[in-house]
Amino acid sequence: MSENAPPTPQENRERYKNLIIVLTVLTTVLAAALAALQADASIRADIANRDSQFLAVQASGELHRSGLEANYEFRIFGDYLKDQQEATILELTALEQESAGDDEAAQTTRQLSAAAQARADVGQKFSIFYNDPRYAPASADEIPRADQYIIDAQKKANELIVQQNQASDSYRRWNQKSDSYVTALTILAVAFFLFGLAQAVKEARLRLTFAIFGMVVIGLTLMVTAITLIG
Amino acid sequence: MKVFDRFKARFEIFNAILIAVVSLTTALSVWRTNVIGSDAADESRQGLIDAVKKQAFGNENARKAYEEAGFAFQYAVKQAEAEALNKSNDPAAKDRAANVEQYLLPNMQLLASPLASDEKYQNPDGTYNLQMLLEDMAAEDESQLNPQALFKRADTLYSQKRWLVVGSILLALSLFWLTLAEISAERFRAWEFAIGLGTYLLGMAWSFAVEFIFFFIQRGA
Repeated sequence: MSENAPPTPQENRERYKNLIIVLTVLTTVLAAALAALQADASIRADIANRDSQFLAVQASGELHRSGLEANYEFRIFGDYLKDQQEATILELTALEQESAGDDEAAQTTRQLSAAAQARADVGQKFSIFYNDPRYAPASADEIPRADQYIIDAQKKANELIVQQNQASDSYRRWNQKSDSYVTALTILAVAFFLFGLAQAVKEARLRLTFAIFGMVVIGLTLMVTAITLIG
Repeated sequence: MKVFDRFKARFEIFNAILIAVVSLTTALSVWRTNVIGSDAADESRQGLIDAVKKQAFGNENARKAYEEAGFAFQYAVKQAEAEALNKSNDPAAKDRAANVEQYLLPNMQLLASPLASDEKYQNPDGTYNLQMLLEDMAAEDESQLNPQALFKRADTLYSQKRWLVVGSILLALSLFWLTLAEISAERFRAWEFAIGLGTYLLGMAWSFAVEFIFFFIQRGA
């Protein structure tokens, strides 16, 4: 038989079958790798989703707590200011009454002033704005740093919100990856179908055509997978 | 030739049985992987529920603690006022102080309890240890609700699922190779069967190793 002789019908039927087998194996390995990547991305998305929800609960709780704390601190501060001013006004009144010669009234007013001053002293002792060096005024002429207190009170909640946003972003990213891997797997199913058809057809040229289309689909899958992996 | 045909027929039957066994094992492996995944999701869900409950307790504790702190402050203020009135030379002021101490302060102290009544919450300077009260309140709830522990268990289960997926994939790959061995031409069969069987054994060993390792990790936890 000459080397250039046309293939027999039997040879024609078997042509490219090995190529199809190799391509099917390659597709299976790719599908297995994609399934593993999809499972991993899905697990990471689940964990990030859970963490973002947990942090949202914590952040809302911290906002609630810091609100209650600030409310308490400002109420004490307000009471202190009121009592301090009341003591001063009563002391001035007592002085005026003394000047007017009404000593009995002045004595009573001074008692009230002393009571107000006692209340103010307790307020100062309890107030974070006078006991904490971060907020206490540096001198008697200055006022406490209430703005710094507000910043600090919200600090933990803000940190939790930043973490929550990061977890939420992470969830979105992994969920998107998981979806992309599902897309790649779906495209890959088309390649399986084409290679199955290629195995079934008897005409070698038709088999090769199906194989080429299958390879194009594998190329598309690889492209989607690469973009997903990098992204 | 007859002996070869008999060997071929026996091989095909043996391979068919092996394919059935591998299919069943793969199905079991996928089922087990999904059960572990479902357990992990359950733990995460319970952890989130516990986190919401714990936070609700925390919110209520904070509300109660700061309300008591407000009453305790008012009590301390009134106490100081009574002391100031007591220092006065005016008998009317002294009478007022005595009445405040006798009738008003005990009721205010009741409202401000336990901060104003329990000595362990009282600081030497006359203020109250609000932080200690909050910690005591939280400790009561924390003994029952621990979302972090549930999340940790869920993470371990997710990790186990991740490794079991690898085992399932190895089993699926072996199934593919054994099927090829069943339908391929004579010259490839032996290699395909060997690869299929090897992958199957590797997948089984992998899955058992994962189960074994995670059994001890969970027992340790």
